[in-house]
Amino acid sequence: MIDYSWLLVAIPLASAALLLLLGRRADAWGHLLGVLAAAGAFVVGLLVFLEVMGQPSEDRIHDVFLYSWIPAGDLHIDAGLRIDPLSLTFVLLITFVGTLIHIYSIGYMAHDAARRRFFAYLNLFVAAMLLLVLADSYALLFVGWEGVGLASYLLIGFWNHNLEYAVAAKKAFVMNRVGDMGLIIAMGLLFAAIGSVSFTDVDAAVTAGALSTAQVTAVGLMLLLGAVGKSAQFPLQAWLGDAMAGPTPVSALIHAATMVTAGVYLVVRSRLIFEASPTAQLVVACIGAFTLLLGAAIACAKDDIKKSLAGSTMSQIGYMVLAAGLGPIGYAFAIFHLVTHGFFKAGLFLGAGSVMHANGDSTDMRTYGALRKVMLVTWLTFGACWLAIMGVPPFSGFYSKDKIIESAFVGEGWQPWVFGGAALIGAGVTAFYMSRMFFLTFHGKARWVEAGATVAPDDPRPVRHPHESPLVMTVPIIVLAIGALGLGFALTLGNGITGWLEPVTGHYDHDAHHAVLPVPVITVTTLVLVALGIALAWRQYGMSPVPLTAPTGSALTRAARRDFYADDVNEGLVMRPGQHLTRTLVYADTAVVDGAVRGTASGAVGLGQLARKLQNGYVRSYAAMILAGVVLAGIVLHLVRM
Amino acid sequence: MTTFVAPVIDWAALSAILVIAGTGIVGVLVAAFVPASSRRTVQVVLALVAPLAALAVVAWRWSVVVGGGESTLVAGQLAEDGPALAAQAIILIFAVVGFAVMASRLPNGEEAFAPQGAAAPGSAYEEAARRAGLEQTEVFPLALLSLAGMLVFPMANDLLVMFVALEVLSLPLYVLSAMARRRRVLSHEAALKYFLLGAFSSALFLFGVALLFGFSGSISLPDLGTAAATTVGMDGMAVVGFVLVLTGLLFKVGAVPFHAWVPDVYQGAPTPVTGFMAAATKTAAFAAILRLLYVAAPGFGWDVEPVLWAVAIASMLLGTVAAIVQTDIKRTLAYSSVAHAGFALVAIVSLSEQGPSALLFYLLAYGLATVGAFAVVTLVRERDADGNVTGEATHLSQWAGLGRRHPVLAATMTLFLLSFAGIPLTAGFVGKFVAFVAAADGGAWPLVVIAVIASAAAAFFYVRIIVLMYFSRPEESERPGADAVEPGALTRASLVLCALGTLVLGVWPTPVLDLLAQAAKFVV
Amino acid sequence: MTLLHYLVLSGVLFTIGAATVLTRRNAILAFMGVELMLNSCNLALVTFSRIHGTLTGQVMAFFVMVVAAAEVVVGLAIIVSIYRARRTVSVDEPSLLKN
Repeated sequence: MIDYSWLLVAIPLASAALLLLLGRRADAWGHLLGVLAAAGAFVVGLLVFLEVMGQPSEDRIHDVFLYSWIPAGDLHIDAGLRIDPLSLTFVLLITFVGTLIHIYSIGYMAHDAARRRFFAYLNLFVAAMLLLVLADSYALLFVGWEGVGLASYLLIGFWNHNLEYAVAAKKAFVMNRVGDMGLIIAMGLLFAAIGSVSFTDVDAAVTAGALSTAQVTAVGLMLLLGAVGKSAQFPLQAWLGDAMAGPTPVSALIHAATMVTAGVYLVVRSRLIFEASPTAQLVVACIGAFTLLLGAAIACAKDDIKKSLAGSTMSQIGYMVLAAGLGPIGYAFAIFHLVTHGFFKAGLFLGAGSVMHANGDSTDMRTYGALRKVMLVTWLTFGACWLAIMGVPPFSGFYSKDKIIESAFVGEGWQPWVFGGAALIGAGVTAFYMSRMFFLTFHGKARWVEAGATVAPDDPRPVRHPHESPLVMTVPIIVLAIGALGLGFALTLGNGITGWLEPVTGHYDHDAHHAVLPVPVITVTTLVLVALGIALAWRQYGMSPVPLTAPTGSALTRAARRDFYADDVNEGLVMRPGQHLTRTLVYADTAVVDGAVRGTASGAVGLGQLARKLQNGYVRSYAAMILAGVVLAGIVLHLVRM
Repeated sequence: MTTFVAPVIDWAALSAILVIAGTGIVGVLVAAFVPASSRRTVQVVLALVAPLAALAVVAWRWSVVVGGGESTLVAGQLAEDGPALAAQAIILIFAVVGFAVMASRLPNGEEAFAPQGAAAPGSAYEEAARRAGLEQTEVFPLALLSLAGMLVFPMANDLLVMFVALEVLSLPLYVLSAMARRRRVLSHEAALKYFLLGAFSSALFLFGVALLFGFSGSISLPDLGTAAATTVGMDGMAVVGFVLVLTGLLFKVGAVPFHAWVPDVYQGAPTPVTGFMAAATKTAAFAAILRLLYVAAPGFGWDVEPVLWAVAIASMLLGTVAAIVQTDIKRTLAYSSVAHAGFALVAIVSLSEQGPSALLFYLLAYGLATVGAFAVVTLVRERDADGNVTGEATHLSQWAGLGRRHPVLAATMTLFLLSFAGIPLTAGFVGKFVAFVAAADGGAWPLVVIAVIASAAAAFFYVRIIVLMYFSRPEESERPGADAVEPGALTRASLVLCALGTLVLGVWPTPVLDLLAQAAKFVV
Repeated sequence: MTLLHYLVLSGVLFTIGAATVLTRRNAILAFMGVELMLNSCNLALVTFSRIHGTLTGQVMAFFVMVVAAAEVVVGLAIIVSIYRARRTVSVDEPSLLKN
């Protein structure tokens, strides 16, 4: 079966192509094909997984050669797949959660005229994501990397009739490009140093010490830049919130469970590089620790349920990046948390989608309240995922996150205190914002009016008719909620996931290293902080009335609401010039050009305008330019010759 | 006095050129003698069959030549070797797809060229010609003759042949540029600019030829260098001569600072001509540059790299920044073509061994996307108040929302744009990759870094168009709305071929790269 | 009078031709500048041919003449048709294509 693992990528890709090519002819059954393709990939993934499981653990790494992709002299790149426990873990996560989300989308997108196209993009995404995790070289990984970027871009902007959404799509694209540059440069450096970008060669070269520390650090930092862009980590985090403009299943699949975790995958996959460069590794851990707090703070301040979840995703991925930055102790836990997070966060997003579906697509939590009575299934499943993300035992988040917190406390000097502290505080804040979300949505007083009820004319509350979602939507959520409940425990049985991943992540003797605090103390402190967070949220949002419009709040809240001004920073640096370029230049120079925009539009435009001035339309000056070029070239050549 | 020895002519080796040039001349006769009712059909059939036949001939010569059969022909004036044949094959492929677009008509029967080239725009005569349904079928023989020049160019092994080929390929293009059916004033202006600058640059080229001849006493490329070893004290003349010759060729590829004609001509010329010209001329001129650099330059013993570096960097940067601020799709593509000239140059800057095959692959990738992209441009049309199809909607704002109304067409365009941008799984990515590897192999690392950065920046304006097509709503503006028309069978075929080529070369470039790798050896 | 003088003359003619292209607005005059450049090349070719004692340069000069003639045909055709449309042959006038 391993030899057929290319089917994993081929099935969804073929389905996407078919759906796009057939066009409207496939409208009637397109969504079913989409689901089938995702499910088919899952079945193939499962078969491969079972085969690999049957092998002794040291033989579980397979390289499947597909074909010679780019033969360019000495440097040639083969297209091949790497089948090993790490990639298979991702394959199962992507295809399983992916299939569920495909099913959910049938219901969620039922009224959308372009549902078939939506499924085509989803399939495309699944194919690209699988390629990303299955690639056996950085080059092929990059193909998948760009592919998921493209699919994500298409899906965020799916409702492109809304201009704001289109802007969000563009933003995600631009910020991802910054990260992609990092990946390209890292590949270039590897090429320069060892003449190959396949994982096997790179790992061998790094192990053999073929690269100097400076080189390894440079490669590591550039890879990290790529990871940071894709995984919405500081300082490239701002796009994730806006990416929530896409349909909710997209947020669940791409911006919670799979694509945004690609950065973690990249770091773990490149672990030898990071291990060879303590500096790069430390930067990874620092970024993870910082983002987990930053994301949590943003999640606390947002009233938009999806944006709050986006903040939470940033924060949880921060945990994973932190774990991956801790070194051999953390890799397996990073992936473990990634898997459990994939389940409960997807569950939360789908639950949020269900709530939105019931509330006329409103995402403002301040207009929810008391929904548990009308949406029992959503309430229960959301609750399970809520407990899971907070790390309440025995829910899955407890097993995975607690391990990361413990690992963060291992080490010497200032690091365990800072990283452990951040992870610990993060757990408390997580409990607060998740509970806030849960109570705002399902508990307290209804801040909406049932359709048909008599309403006072000055009642500011919106009129709604909340209802439970259809089975096709609730069943996937139920499955995910079961995962949120039991997966953590299931994966720790025996040697569990850590033993399974060991061929890739390397063996680590957990007994040989001790945390700076006793483990029970850490666990209890975590649970106490979580309890405090829940209690605080209950006091503020469960018991007391919640105003329909957000109070001004403290400076910190206001800052967090605005994503800590990341937008303003990015806007000044990236978006303003970008928007200026896309809009005002496209729509001639008449529309929307105000002085401020003109002022911030950066060098590129200036240079471009200069180039336009050069191109003045007069033949004679063109001829003069040619002649000047000749003279310059002559001078240069003459000087060089001397 | 020397006695004249008639050179031995290997007709077989020349047969591809002869097929094309011969068909061109037949085409002129057809225009004169075949009745108007069937004239166009005959011309189109000739124009499409001839390149295909020539392609077959080139394939045959390939089997003869590659692997040891390289030789010089006609007393050393022409060279038949791998790079020449590969370039010819690529040019012929562009000709097939390019001519197909030229020959296409809109659903309302309108073709891309003026009914009567000689009629002044807006004159009563023009109106009468339009009413009478006249068609200027000389377009096809002109294109074929230009193609003949392009085919000679890669084989040219001495400076005289190179000059003649340069003129043969250019003169018909000047005329073709003036032949647009709509926006004829722009078309005329483009032709005038193209002509004056082209003539100017070929005069520079010729002066360079004269100086090199004076320097070495020979005009044969391999001999130029050998003379350099024996001639002392006239280096200055050789440098000026070499720079002038190089200038003439860089002008044709549209590299900065010899690019100024590119945006104006690409915008003004009839779009199908622009597509063909952008792809094929560039390839032909690059093939000539290849021979100049790989065959002649090493003999001089000086370093041309700094000049090439400067030109490559300037082209990439200027092409990119200028493209970013454009509002016209044809002009954007024109500047992008300037940038691509820079990227392609990167492949051969360090004169490394993989340079030629990398360059040729790059040109193939670029050319397919170019012909395709301009073919799409021919389909996006403005409508007048009565809903009649009028001129091309070239303003970018008119492309807004095209993706929703014409998903397939927009997706095709997106593919070409992604290929331009060098996104993986498109031919453009592989092209950039092999080009950069070739440069890096020769040690031109800093240049590769600049090229990577430039390509990332360049991706921006391609994506801008994609964004526009998919994510923007058409705005209320003074410009008439735009809509795509149904492509004719030939354009459709051409688009399919270009798109398939772009995709296949991105996913599985190995066979082509292997073929081109065999073609890397120049005959000296 | 040595052969060098011819070369100097050729250089001077070439420069005058180039200067004409750069300075004259009239398309015909600019075009004449180009022709002057071509002819200066011819002079140089013939002179060099003499210096080297081969015929190559002289043969080339003939080719150049033919090419120049062909260029005149195309060039004048374009210029004339522009004149008919715009009633002017100034190369500065038609600048709708720019930036």
